[in-house]
Amino acid sequence: MSSTPVGAPVQPVAQPGAEPAAKPLATLVARPLIRRKPPKTRRKKLTTEHVLFTTANTTFLIVLAAVTLYPLLNTLAISLNDGMDAVRGGIGIWPRVFSLKNYEVVLNMDTIYKAFFMSVLKTVVVVATNLFFTSMLAYALSRSEFVFRRPITLIFVLTMYFDAGLIPNYLLIRDLGMLNSFQAYWVPVIISAFNLIVLRTYMKSIPEEVIESARMDGAGHFRVWWQIVMPLCKPALAVIGLFVAVGSWNAWLDTLLYNSGEQWLSTLQYELQKLLASSMNAGQNSGNMANNAASVASGGQLTSPIALRSAITMVAAVPILCVYPFLQKHFVSGLMIGSVKG
Amino acid sequence: MSAVALAMAVTVGLVGCSNADNTPDPTDPTTSASAPDADVPAGELADPTGTLTPADPTEISVWITSANQAPADDNKITKLIEQELGVTLKYEIVTPDNVDQKIGVMLAGGQFPDLVGTTDLQMRLLEGGALLKLDDMLATGNYPAIAEHVDPYIKKMSYTGGEVEDGLYIIPNYNRFYGDITGGTYYGPAFWIQKRVLADAGYPSLDDMTLEKYFQLIEDFKAKNPQTEGIDTIGFEVLASVGREWGMTNPPALLAGSPNNGGVIVDEAGNAEIYANKDIAKDFYKVLNEQYAKGLVDPESFTLTFDQYVAKLATGAVLGMHDQGWNFQTATDSLRSAGKDEYTYVPLMPVYEGVTPWYADRDVMNTNQGFGVSVSSKIPEKALKFIDLMLSEPWQKVLSWGIEGEDYLVDDEGRFYRNEEQRANSRDLTWRASNRLEALLDVLPKHQGQFSDGNAYGPDDQPEEFFATLTDYDRNFMEQYGKKTWREFVNQPPENPKYYPAWNIGLPDEANEVNQQLTDANVQHLPKIIAGSPADFEANWQAYLDTIDKIDVKVYEDAINAGIQDRLANW
Amino acid sequence: MTNAPVSDLVTATGLEPAAEPASTRSADRKARKAQKARKKSVAKGPKRKITWDIVWAQRALLAMAVPLLLYQVLFKYVPVYGWAIAFQNYKPGRGGIFDQQWVGFDNFEKLFTGVMGERFRQVIINTLGQSILTLVVGTFGAIILALLLNEVKNLGFKRVLQNITYMPHFLSWVIVASLAAVALSLPNSGGFINQFLLAVGIVDEPVMFLTEPNYFWGIVAGTSLWKELGWNTILYLAAITAIDPALYEAAEVDGAGRYRKMWNITLPGIMPTIVVLLIINSGWILSTNFELPYFLGNGLISERAETIDVFVLRYGYQLGNYSLAVVAGIFKTIVAIILVGSANQAAKRMNQETLV
Repeated sequence: MSSTPVGAPVQPVAQPGAEPAAKPLATLVARPLIRRKPPKTRRKKLTTEHVLFTTANTTFLIVLAAVTLYPLLNTLAISLNDGMDAVRGGIGIWPRVFSLKNYEVVLNMDTIYKAFFMSVLKTVVVVATNLFFTSMLAYALSRSEFVFRRPITLIFVLTMYFDAGLIPNYLLIRDLGMLNSFQAYWVPVIISAFNLIVLRTYMKSIPEEVIESARMDGAGHFRVWWQIVMPLCKPALAVIGLFVAVGSWNAWLDTLLYNSGEQWLSTLQYELQKLLASSMNAGQNSGNMANNAASVASGGQLTSPIALRSAITMVAAVPILCVYPFLQKHFVSGLMIGSVKG
Repeated sequence: MSAVALAMAVTVGLVGCSNADNTPDPTDPTTSASAPDADVPAGELADPTGTLTPADPTEISVWITSANQAPADDNKITKLIEQELGVTLKYEIVTPDNVDQKIGVMLAGGQFPDLVGTTDLQMRLLEGGALLKLDDMLATGNYPAIAEHVDPYIKKMSYTGGEVEDGLYIIPNYNRFYGDITGGTYYGPAFWIQKRVLADAGYPSLDDMTLEKYFQLIEDFKAKNPQTEGIDTIGFEVLASVGREWGMTNPPALLAGSPNNGGVIVDEAGNAEIYANKDIAKDFYKVLNEQYAKGLVDPESFTLTFDQYVAKLATGAVLGMHDQGWNFQTATDSLRSAGKDEYTYVPLMPVYEGVTPWYADRDVMNTNQGFGVSVSSKIPEKALKFIDLMLSEPWQKVLSWGIEGEDYLVDDEGRFYRNEEQRANSRDLTWRASNRLEALLDVLPKHQGQFSDGNAYGPDDQPEEFFATLTDYDRNFMEQYGKKTWREFVNQPPENPKYYPAWNIGLPDEANEVNQQLTDANVQHLPKIIAGSPADFEANWQAYLDTIDKIDVKVYEDAINAGIQDRLANW
Repeated sequence: MTNAPVSDLVTATGLEPAAEPASTRSADRKARKAQKARKKSVAKGPKRKITWDIVWAQRALLAMAVPLLLYQVLFKYVPVYGWAIAFQNYKPGRGGIFDQQWVGFDNFEKLFTGVMGERFRQVIINTLGQSILTLVVGTFGAIILALLLNEVKNLGFKRVLQNITYMPHFLSWVIVASLAAVALSLPNSGGFINQFLLAVGIVDEPVMFLTEPNYFWGIVAGTSLWKELGWNTILYLAAITAIDPALYEAAEVDGAGRYRKMWNITLPGIMPTIVVLLIINSGWILSTNFELPYFLGNGLISERAETIDVFVLRYGYQLGNYSLAVVAGIFKTIVAIILVGSANQAAKRMNQETLV
């Protein structure tokens, strides 16, 4: 994958005669066909200004990184702290009384492991189907000759702004026979309007000649999409893949609503969400005050809601955090959301 | 029957149960679950009616609202149920936070598992027609344990709301008591004070407690100990976080000698009215306002999240607060595990002059919360029989104490107790997943109070267990006051009024809305009243009254009164 | 997939690229002029007529789009019949959506008039205030961070920074809110913002941040920035890498410094991304900000803290008043469509990238 010539074919190229002067900013980016030397050759004189800027910038970014890293380190420290001690608060980025008990509680849940694999499977399937269908539609909508592209785009865009509500959606899934089935996870989410727009705008920036010459050679739209456009879109697909993967990984409402009746369909987030609720639910329901006290009392001593919550957060987040570094190399090679309008 | 004989019977019964799968037909018309020593070979855990047997396996789907986890795959009680009754349970557990959404779609879908365990105060599943009316089934006499459970309280337990036919739909899960109510810990409302404050003051008498005395104790102690382990000592904490704001709003009623009826005070004749805008409230907030000005009330009180509140208590720096015991249990556990018993709290009951305190009430039965059998069930008789068996004493002991010899021990007098290891186990979430059916038990009807052999329903209520787990500090503290349990620090709960409590009366939408508006007025105005300058107290109070005047309080009061009248007539 | 006969497709392209772009563009321009006179005609416009021949010629594209269109209609548009609840006194116990009691516009009247209406207007203002501030601060922050990261030449350092800054996105709002609550508390309770302000001497007395209503919108925007900054930067960063390095070189030849390149090349290069995201986000202005006001709000500041979604939770869902919740949802949708439409139109007038 990384063998894709670095960004070369993706560099937006002005469409001959297509850009009227009315787009000053976009035309700045639209540029001659010829690809220049790689950026490395760009030499920089070490002016004082440059040194100052670099120092200031680096310092600022390091401070910023520290500030944004703090929440995660804090959560990690609390998760590795003795639960009872953690209740007192005041833990920074290092555990005060080290303990693995919180992780033991989370990882000793039988259901977690199967749920983890279900989450992975679900995420993989959702990402694959979503990328496939979204990119196919995005291709069609990026073709300027397609006469229905505006109304169809509009229909999809609007869906970002309304929600029919849980019950009609549930009834639809039921009537399609998808309750308590794996289909309920991916069939309803094969297209997301936001990603569609991102991808469509990106595709518009692909030089028209690339597609045109393929068409001249006799390739149909399906082949152009699959064999020409898709490889060029790798960076965009990587970003969208990340968005979809994170969304799918973090979702638990679909499990609750459609698939909570079958344990094998349970997902990691849903199981953790339940564990979280049980650790935090120290008798929220005023109807059950006295009763909950008993369970809270007997649940005490070994861990506490705040510590357990932190361990749960780490367990839930770490697998998906690992995805980004793998996708990152594709981002660097260039994603364009409409740097040139087609 | 002597306790020893019964203990033996239990032992034998349990030994017998391991042979149960070799016993072809445990059906014996002369057996009944309440006479365990009569049918040793079949085992007292088996179903004497032969409805649920290992020879004829049954799968029951169970839907439960509970914060508890589903049992682990290797759960030993799950195995026992399968061995003895041939029953496998298919769980669907929904946590209370998620249940609103789930109930909505379940009702829309119209399909339900066999058993539905609900804790929905709005009774949506019941009123939505998801449940079977159980009266006729119970009348067959096939469900003796349930019949005994509901008989004395059938009116209270029955639904009369008019959306579906009147009758019993749900078998309540908590606080239907058998025998005496035991247990040493107090979880109810009180003005709590740290033990070290009382110890430092030389264990002063706690009788005739008033707000003045309470705050004087705190003030004196804080003057002597401005710091606690390096942090500033905090005199009094108020939790005003929405959803848990009752620590701030409930005291006036308790100070005036009324039990916890939520937002209203109910007079002898059964008339309810809100007290938030009455003098009993004004007097309390005036005192708080003065104490705030003196620096005794934590200025950070009103912005605390629940986590922060618990954290503050857990540091040991907070001398007192008004709260319900269960709400800050995490903080108590934390202090106790750090060995800082002197920072834990004792309940006090300040009242206005000439008033008898009524802080502790008798635990109220959870009506319309518990298990029902769904209309979709193809095996309603078996499902109900399962509940019936689980409610029988032998199974109740298994569910709440565990398995004899493994999870608890029995002394020569037939009293149940546990050793240290068993106690530690029972606090371990992981252990419990493999050895307890907590989610199921949470919603099952329970034999709370005492078993017929005199043992308490569960370890937490067994007096011996309570004393065995007391620390030396606590034991000494209680001795100073000549008391044996924490419960003795609060009043003996009088008989509950017939309608009691008003806070769980189901309200129509308009009344609920008014209630919500009152809550909003409280959380917006009371902090300003308490934290304001004493010179502005009257003005701030007036602003609060003006806001309440704009709310249609009568709608709320009328609805509560209608509910009370209805209960007085029907319960 | 590739079963479309080649010859047809050639026909399709043979004509299209030449004719289409020019004609749509002029059509757009004409349409814009004609708009004042004939609002209806924007969509249809004086475009080339759609004939069966064209439809046939574009059947491959239609085959790609139409099944997914039908899918979207089925999964998104058909369930909208559920909005009927807005015109009912909906009780789940009564059965399906069509077994309910119809009440006309009563629910709308209730939400928009009287005591409730007054309160609802306040929560709309709070929602707008918090969302717009969050959006502006968030967008600026993300663009600036993207530009600064772009100046980092050490690739490894840059990747590490990216990875770190996007991490808070994966913490739940509950955790972020409780961290924020601690950060904003008194110095004694671990409030490091106060500790810092006191140490540096900016204030003499600790500030009670969460008791002052006027600070709250800023607190929301700041906390959101903290959590989402790195995440929001991803799209911009990706857009930046697509800019042709040749442009920088050309600028250097002209003697442009670092700032001028940033201003004249990088920023314009990601402008379409910025514009498209702003248009999309403009529609979500009434739908964001539930968690922070819910977890951080308190009685003292609720006049500024309560947002539409919090209000709907407390007076809709918690009270079992689903109809009210749907009414609020419909209101939000209508506002969203107006906002997105206006933003799209504005972008079009300014000759920027548009959504539709």
